[in-house]
Amino acid sequence: MVKLTHVSKSFGEIKALVDVSFEIKKGEFVFITGPSGAGKTTILKLILREILPTSGQVVFDGEDIVNLPQEKVPYLRQKIGVVFQDYKVLPERTVRENVEVPLAVTGVNPDEWAARVNQVLKLVGLDKRSELFPAQLSGGEIQRVSLARALVVNPKLVMADEPTGNLDWETGDAIMELFEKINKEGKTVIMATHNKHVVERLKKRVIELKDGKMVGQTRVKSEGEEKVEEKKEEEPRQEEKSQEKPKMKVKVEEV
Amino acid sequence: MKIHLKTALDYIKRSPFQALAALFVLTLTFFVGTILAVLVYSSANLLNYFETRPQIITFLKDEITPENVSALQNKLSADVRVKDVRYVSKEEALEIYKQATSDNPLLSELVSPTIFPASLEFSVTDLSFAQEVINEIKEEGIVDSVGFTASLGGEKTLEDVVGRLRTLTLYLRIGGGVFVGVLAGTSLLVILVITGMRITTRRGEIEILNLIGATPAFIRSPIILEALIYSSVGAFVGWLLAFLIWLYATPALIGYFGDIPILPKGTLNLFGLFAIILVGELIIGLGLALSGSYLAVSRARRNR
Repeated sequence: MVKLTHVSKSFGEIKALVDVSFEIKKGEFVFITGPSGAGKTTILKLILREILPTSGQVVFDGEDIVNLPQEKVPYLRQKIGVVFQDYKVLPERTVRENVEVPLAVTGVNPDEWAARVNQVLKLVGLDKRSELFPAQLSGGEIQRVSLARALVVNPKLVMADEPTGNLDWETGDAIMELFEKINKEGKTVIMATHNKHVVERLKKRVIELKDGKMVGQTRVKSEGEEKVEEKKEEEPRQEEKSQEKPKMKVKVEEV
Repeated sequence: MKIHLKTALDYIKRSPFQALAALFVLTLTFFVGTILAVLVYSSANLLNYFETRPQIITFLKDEITPENVSALQNKLSADVRVKDVRYVSKEEALEIYKQATSDNPLLSELVSPTIFPASLEFSVTDLSFAQEVINEIKEEGIVDSVGFTASLGGEKTLEDVVGRLRTLTLYLRIGGGVFVGVLAGTSLLVILVITGMRITTRRGEIEILNLIGATPAFIRSPIILEALIYSSVGAFVGWLLAFLIWLYATPALIGYFGDIPILPKGTLNLFGLFAIILVGELIIGLGLALSGSYLAVSRARRNR
């Protein structure tokens, strides 16, 4: 579904990503974790073709999106549902209208809108709030609007950038349950987060970044906490070797 | 389309003063445009009326025979420089005189047909031919004298009147065209500025739409639709105001100009003229809206 091969991205002097490679298969749920500035959002932006890599290849759904002509970018984005940390809902539109926008964008027949919007609003628990404006909703509810908007066009891939970043624990857990539900229905989910609680609770594959480098990844087969793969991508510097355990090992043990 | 229309109407509702500014300027442009279009039509009709009046009257000698008249009439009719040849007998001349002096019946009672000469009246296809045709016809044996129609407005000849009308029409067309051009340019700038402001204030929304896969055409649609609403409403209101003023003034104008057809005869024809002007203005408005909004959008893209 998504494959990054030796991808690097620099913003002037700053190296946001350095030689990152990984592949995400259809139906997977993958966390991209790491501290702030590790390059999580950069990866999501690369997949969404918001930015281009300095080097390397990004493939989505069998298509090299680095060399994708600009006029085809909207159609790539229509295949991806994105949930943003800052929600990015349209403040002057109601919940229903916000969810309708992707349907209009993708050219879905307006006769189908009501059924699809109702279905997805019910899924995220906003069916009774459909005529409210974002200003009349709580943070968790707005995040659900963002999720509903991402799901309504039945995208091949759902990406979420710190979806629980602005939410309290309880609301964050509710949102995560929704993502899990979506994934169980067969959707591929990529979630960038630095929320360890979330990552540990769901026990999914984790790609860990630090300073733009991939420092490891784990693959958990099921909730039976079976470790499938352990990979250490970056060798610690010599002077750190004696003091620092490989991060992924710690993570796998926790799992 | 429905979602774009709703977005465009929302934009208008949320910035009523911008919308009013655009509407006022466009209404003024199309109001002046409509007035000018009718003035150009009327002046062209006025000019045409005087140009097609019998311009040359050939007074015939008393001793002419019908054969002589017929021969001269045929000769004139065959001349490509001459049109609308008409024979006016002594009796018809008396009738014309009686009509002209109908407000004073005593004048017509004192005359008999014998004092009026028969004549051949005709126009020339172009006034520049008038002098040479007059010179040629004076050579004809049955012709007593030749002259232009009666002087009008103190002018010595109809040529002067027509010349003046031509100049007036030309000035009206050039001056009016420039004025409407300036107003149209102002309208274009207003649409450009308002569209530019709309893009700036909607930058966040445009970014979100971009990220969820909206094509540039989808993003542009409500912005262009808004400009189209301004231009079509402006064109219609401007046209309607001018139409009402013309309707109000029509009886007075017809009374003043009499037989001169400065406006179409008949209500349906008058409405037809205004319908044509409305369609033309809507097309011009469409052009203004599309060019203004496209310029603003492409400028915003360049500056991004």
